[in-house]
Amino acid sequence: MGYAQRKVANTASKLAHVSSSHLRALPPKHSLLPAGKAAPPAVFDAQAWAASQPPPRSTLAAFAHRIGLGKVVPSVDVIEQACTHPSFVHLHNQQHPDQPLPATNASLATLGNSLLGLFATEFVNSSYPHLPTRVMKAAVSAHVGPTTCANLAREMGVTPILRWHRTPANLTQGAVLHIDALASVPRALTALVYQYRSLRSARRFVEKFFFSREVDLRSMMKFRDPKQTLLATVQKFGRERPISRLLKETGRLSNSPVFVVGIFSGADKLGEGFGSSLKMAEYRAAEDSLLRLYLTRQPPHLLQLPTSTFPDAPGNVFEATGAESAYSPVSLGDSEVLYGSAGRAGVRTPGARSRAAEAEDDLEDYVL
Amino acid sequence: MPKSDSKHGTCHMGLSRAALNISSSPAMPPRLSLPSLRFSSRSYATRLPERPPYRAPDPLRDNPHATYAELQENVTFIHRPPPTAPSPLSYTTSPASPLLKSSGFSTTGELPPTFSKQHEEKPRLSDEDVARIRQLRREDPTTWTRGRLAKEFNCTPWFVGKITSLKGPDRRKAKETAEEEHAANRAKWGERKSLSVDIRKKRKEFW
Repeated sequence: MGYAQRKVANTASKLAHVSSSHLRALPPKHSLLPAGKAAPPAVFDAQAWAASQPPPRSTLAAFAHRIGLGKVVPSVDVIEQACTHPSFVHLHNQQHPDQPLPATNASLATLGNSLLGLFATEFVNSSYPHLPTRVMKAAVSAHVGPTTCANLAREMGVTPILRWHRTPANLTQGAVLHIDALASVPRALTALVYQYRSLRSARRFVEKFFFSREVDLRSMMKFRDPKQTLLATVQKFGRERPISRLLKETGRLSNSPVFVVGIFSGADKLGEGFGSSLKMAEYRAAEDSLLRLYLTRQPPHLLQLPTSTFPDAPGNVFEATGAESAYSPVSLGDSEVLYGSAGRAGVRTPGARSRAAEAEDDLEDYVL
Repeated sequence: MPKSDSKHGTCHMGLSRAALNISSSPAMPPRLSLPSLRFSSRSYATRLPERPPYRAPDPLRDNPHATYAELQENVTFIHRPPPTAPSPLSYTTSPASPLLKSSGFSTTGELPPTFSKQHEEKPRLSDEDVARIRQLRREDPTTWTRGRLAKEFNCTPWFVGKITSLKGPDRRKAKETAEEEHAANRAKWGERKSLSVDIRKKRKEFW
C-alpha cells in the first residue's frame, strides 16, 4: 500500500463510522441556502458536524455488553460519558451552541488512572518481590500505561464511539492526540466499575483486561556493569565473593570459540553464560545471576494483594462493610543494590559497625 | 608377481582385482586386502593399524538435562533445554538463585577451574593512609595519579578511585587532557586497527 492509501485508511479508521439512521436533522438547516435569498450560508464544516453527532444508542449498548458491563452500568449515557474526552466539549459547543455541554470522562479517567496504578503496583510488587524499582515502574507502565490503555481501547472497539477533538499544544495544555483520547476510556471504565460495584470488582476487571497481557520483564533489564552489581549484591546477602569458573569450552584458538562460564559463590553456582570470548561469557553469567534473583516470582496461587483487605461490597472503600478476605503480609526482601552514584553503592563496608571509634553514621561507611 | 588364478578362487584380491576388474574406474586406488580373505597367504610385513571406527556419544541420547514424557503410544515428548539457557522459572517456593536459598549443603567436590588470576586480598588501609591518599590527590593530581598512589600505598587503583575524586573544574580539565591524549593516539592508528576496534565495540553491545 502506498503512502497516500495508508494515510486515507488511517484517517478513515479514526473518523466515526457508525450509522446515522438515528440522526434527525440531516442535512442540518444551517447548511442549506435560505429560500429566495442570494446571501451565502454561514460556513458549514461537514466533518466537524459529523464528528459532533452522538453515536447511536444501540452501538453504545452493544459495546457495554461486549466488555461485560451491560448489567453493571444503569444506562448507556454513562457509557457515552466514559467515551467522551474533554477535548470534545469545545467542538460540541461550536456546532451546537444552544445545547447543554456534554458530560466528559475527565474525573472518571483520573480516578481510573489512580486505581490502575494501585492495582498494577501491588500486582507487580507482590509477584516479583526482588525486582529493582526502576524495572517495577517500567512493568507498571507496560501493564497499565498510556500505550497499553490506548491499545486496549482499540481492541475493545472504542474507536467508532470515541468522541474527541484533535487539539494542538498551547501554552497551558499539551496536545491531544488520538492515542490520548483512546487511553482515557479504559481508565474511565475502571472508575465506573468501582463506582457501581466495589474496589475488588474493579480489580477483577483490571486483572481480566490488563494483567492478562503478556509483559516480558527480561527484556526490560539491561545492566551497565553486571559484574560490579553482582559483587555488591552478593556482599549484601553476606555470601562469599563471586568467582568465575570455566565450565566448558571449545575451539579456543579457532575463529569461533564458545566458552561457558559459571559464577560461583563458594560452591553455589549463581549463574552461567556462554560467549565467544571469556569476557563475554563472564558478562552473560553475571547477567544471568542477577536475572535469576530479580525475576524470582511468587506463584499466582500464593499471591497476596493488599487490596484484599477491602471488603467485596458495594460502595466506596471508606464506607463499605463486609467480610475481608485473608491477607498475610509477605516479609520484605532486601532492596536491590544501587548503581554507584558518586561511588556509593549503598552497601556498608564489612566491619564498619565493629569499629568502636565511630559513634555516628559517617558517609564514609557507605563508600565501598 | 603372484600368479592370479581366478578359477580356484584363491588369489591375492588386491592385485588381481586391479588386474581383472575392468569396470572399476582407473582413478580408484587399489584397496587394501581384507584380512579375512588372506587364508592361504602369510605375510610378515606389518599391517597398518586398524582402529575401530569412532562412534561419538550421541548428545541427543545421553543428555543429563533431558526429560522424557510418554504422550501416547510410540510418541515421546523430549524436552532438552540448552545447558546454558537461564531458567525462566524461578519461583519464591523454589528459587533458581542460591542467594535466596539458605546457604550451605551444596555439592562438595572439585569445582571447575578458574581462568583469571585470583589475586590475594590486599591488606586493609588505615585511616591515616586513607587521609594521606586524599591529601596527596587533592594537592597534586598530575603527579599523584591513581596508579601511582595505588603502588605507593599497596592498594588497587579502583580503591583509590573510590576514596578520592577530583571535583568540578579539576575533573573536567583532567578528563579533557586525557581525552586529547587518547584522541592523538587514536589518530595514529591505521585503517585496519580502527576498524577492528570499532567492530569489537559494536560486538560488545550485543553481549
